[in-house]
Amino acid sequence: MALYDNKHWLLSHIRKSFITSDDSGMCEAVMICDNIAKQLPVNKYDCYPCVEQDEEEDDLDSMAQSFDLNSDLQFGLRRHRSNTAQRLEKMEAEKKKAANTIHVKWITNPVPLSAEARAELFPRKDLKNTKREKQVSLLTELLAKFPDMPENPFKDFARMDGNAQVGVSTKRYLIFITMLNENDRRYPMEVVIISSAKILDLVGLICWKCSIEYPDVPLKDSVNHYGLFIAEDDGAVDWDFPSLDSREVVSKFGFTYLALVERDQAVQQDETYPLLIESLSLHHSEPGPSSTRAQLENQLEEDMNRIRGHIKAIGAPVYQSFNVYVLNKVRARSEIHLGISGEKLEIFPVIQQRVSARLWGGKQKAETFSMEDVVSCDVTEHKSNNRSTFRLVYCQKKGSTGDELGTVKHRDFESETTVASDIVKKVNHILEVRQSDKRREYIASRERKSHRKKNFHLGPR
Amino acid sequence: MTNSSNSDQVILATGGYDHTIKLWQVNSGVCRHTAQHTESQVNALAITPDKQLLAAAGHQHIRMYDLMSNSTSPVINYEGMTKNVSSVGFHEEGKWMFTGGEDCSARIWDLRSKNLQCQRIFQVSSPVNCVCLHPNQSELIVGDQGGIIHLWDLKTDHNEQLIPEPDSSIQSVSIDPEGKMVAAVNNKGSCFIWSITTAECGPSKLSPRHHIVAHRCYALSCSLSPDSKLLVTCSADQTARLWETENFSLVMELKHGTQRWVWDAAFSADSKYLLTACSDNIARLWNLDTGNIEREYSGHQKAITALAYSDTPVQSTPNL
Repeated sequence: MALYDNKHWLLSHIRKSFITSDDSGMCEAVMICDNIAKQLPVNKYDCYPCVEQDEEEDDLDSMAQSFDLNSDLQFGLRRHRSNTAQRLEKMEAEKKKAANTIHVKWITNPVPLSAEARAELFPRKDLKNTKREKQVSLLTELLAKFPDMPENPFKDFARMDGNAQVGVSTKRYLIFITMLNENDRRYPMEVVIISSAKILDLVGLICWKCSIEYPDVPLKDSVNHYGLFIAEDDGAVDWDFPSLDSREVVSKFGFTYLALVERDQAVQQDETYPLLIESLSLHHSEPGPSSTRAQLENQLEEDMNRIRGHIKAIGAPVYQSFNVYVLNKVRARSEIHLGISGEKLEIFPVIQQRVSARLWGGKQKAETFSMEDVVSCDVTEHKSNNRSTFRLVYCQKKGSTGDELGTVKHRDFESETTVASDIVKKVNHILEVRQSDKRREYIASRERKSHRKKNFHLGPR
Repeated sequence: MTNSSNSDQVILATGGYDHTIKLWQVNSGVCRHTAQHTESQVNALAITPDKQLLAAAGHQHIRMYDLMSNSTSPVINYEGMTKNVSSVGFHEEGKWMFTGGEDCSARIWDLRSKNLQCQRIFQVSSPVNCVCLHPNQSELIVGDQGGIIHLWDLKTDHNEQLIPEPDSSIQSVSIDPEGKMVAAVNNKGSCFIWSITTAECGPSKLSPRHHIVAHRCYALSCSLSPDSKLLVTCSADQTARLWETENFSLVMELKHGTQRWVWDAAFSADSKYLLTACSDNIARLWNLDTGNIEREYSGHQKAITALAYSDTPVQSTPNL
């Protein structure tokens, strides 16, 4: 019986194991000449049969020397290196890096300086002879050369660059840019982005890098004109799949090769959240980058927006009903009608047709909130399926507490993005006009809170 | 001179809480290099007079980075201190480096290799927040958390103390290039200005000249302009304020909607522009004639707490 107490079996097993698990073939080359198992004096009974066989005979059997077999295959996947090995490698790399750094430790001067030596080493410079002329700095010259630096629309995306980060997890992509000329297009551009960025940010970052590396290539002024498609390693765009959803986080996608494609039509991006209320008291006195023309254009745009905002604000108190889902903590979401007018906000359950729905979701009661009690309404999340959630914050009256806020409660709703942003705008317009005390107090308390937070981690070093 | 070599001589470095140091192309706003400043925030930055190296003061270290190379790691690491190093600067010919730290000391480091002749240490009773060098190259002005300003004469080892406001902490000191005026700000938002009179060989004397209630909270840094005509104070009240040094009236307030704590500021060589480092992760270039933001340098992931800037004054042409 071939057991672990059998010398021959053990030797032959070790030998075969070495040969089969070594991809390079080195082991076999070394071991082929001396088969130790064969050289051992053998007792006829405990001899393992294979040992007696000739290597040449083995060769006849194609299965015997199957050094294509890799022991790694047993695991199905590539074997992971042990933690220790990884750590050792990391330490090695750090050591290598540190070797380029000279370390200087503080040592106090062993011999205290004499007064003469001090005077010699730290002479006083005479400042009277220094004349100063009116000077112009190099910076002023440089800036004068480019007084109206065209504002790069993708500038804000530069901070997503993963190469410029330390200690933040990043993702690396190879991007084919289809707008480039034929020669440049063939080679992908390497883009490293922080993992928490969205696809939209990736598009912006690619545009930013592209605008720096290929300044001759005209790019549209907004990321909405571009989409990312899956690509082959030779740069062929895979048109069978739609472009990656720009609202998704990049870490969700595992593709290495992507292609940046100009869209036929710019997609309308949803407004970013938290939604900016088109405030009626919007000032535009803030100093921005000083390009007068751009400023004028911005101003015009801003004014138009304000007028649009005014028109909407006027219509805001008119009663309107929306179909939305209320998100409950325990039960599944249930469909309701949300009625909003200048005075109050009402929730009516929708009568469920199906029995099961009635069982699980039909418990929603009709409720009414006075607009006095509603303190805020904001979009909380844009989901990828064109739906958004928004949160309504209100305070419940407490008879005894007098002028205090009472308990602040909130409700979450979900609806189509367009509906959600309409509701949020409408409610905010109403709140803006009403300016109830509770809302003021709520905003003040929220600001206090955020201020406290800020103070906390920005304390003096 | 070509344009690219010109822009290379204008150096802007920023560093902060995200453990990186970034070098910027000042006129385009593009980040041209990012270096790692591992395990520590950046407390202060300084460029050597020959513009070859950048010194970054952090926790227990001063690290020197080669401004010309693409390496992300430092070339020299000065160590041996137990606490944060809060400020760093250089002798105008690069003979030695001075630092101040929370281990209650100011130090002079001999930069010549294997030479310790210049190594000096100056002990005070509270953590040192700021150090600056008198343009005469032989006196250090040291501000500490106990609210004391020390004038340390390197030549005679003599030192003098000033307490502008009790129970406060001196956050930053600055001296003008002519050596006529010293400004200091404290954690209560006060700014003090002294005139300096220097005798032929004796120590310089500081005499109080003015006191401004510059900010309503914590002031973080102050700086006198190269032409000695302007003073900037930065504060936790989210603004930087520009004062003229004739009678210390407010010239303008540099404020931006998203701006948060303003940590550090530097003037251009002709005092026409100002760079600020801010907690909203952005460094800004302000035009001091108009008060407009000319450029923004965005790329840091966390607050920027220090900046170093260097450009060259060029001889003015007659028509300018």
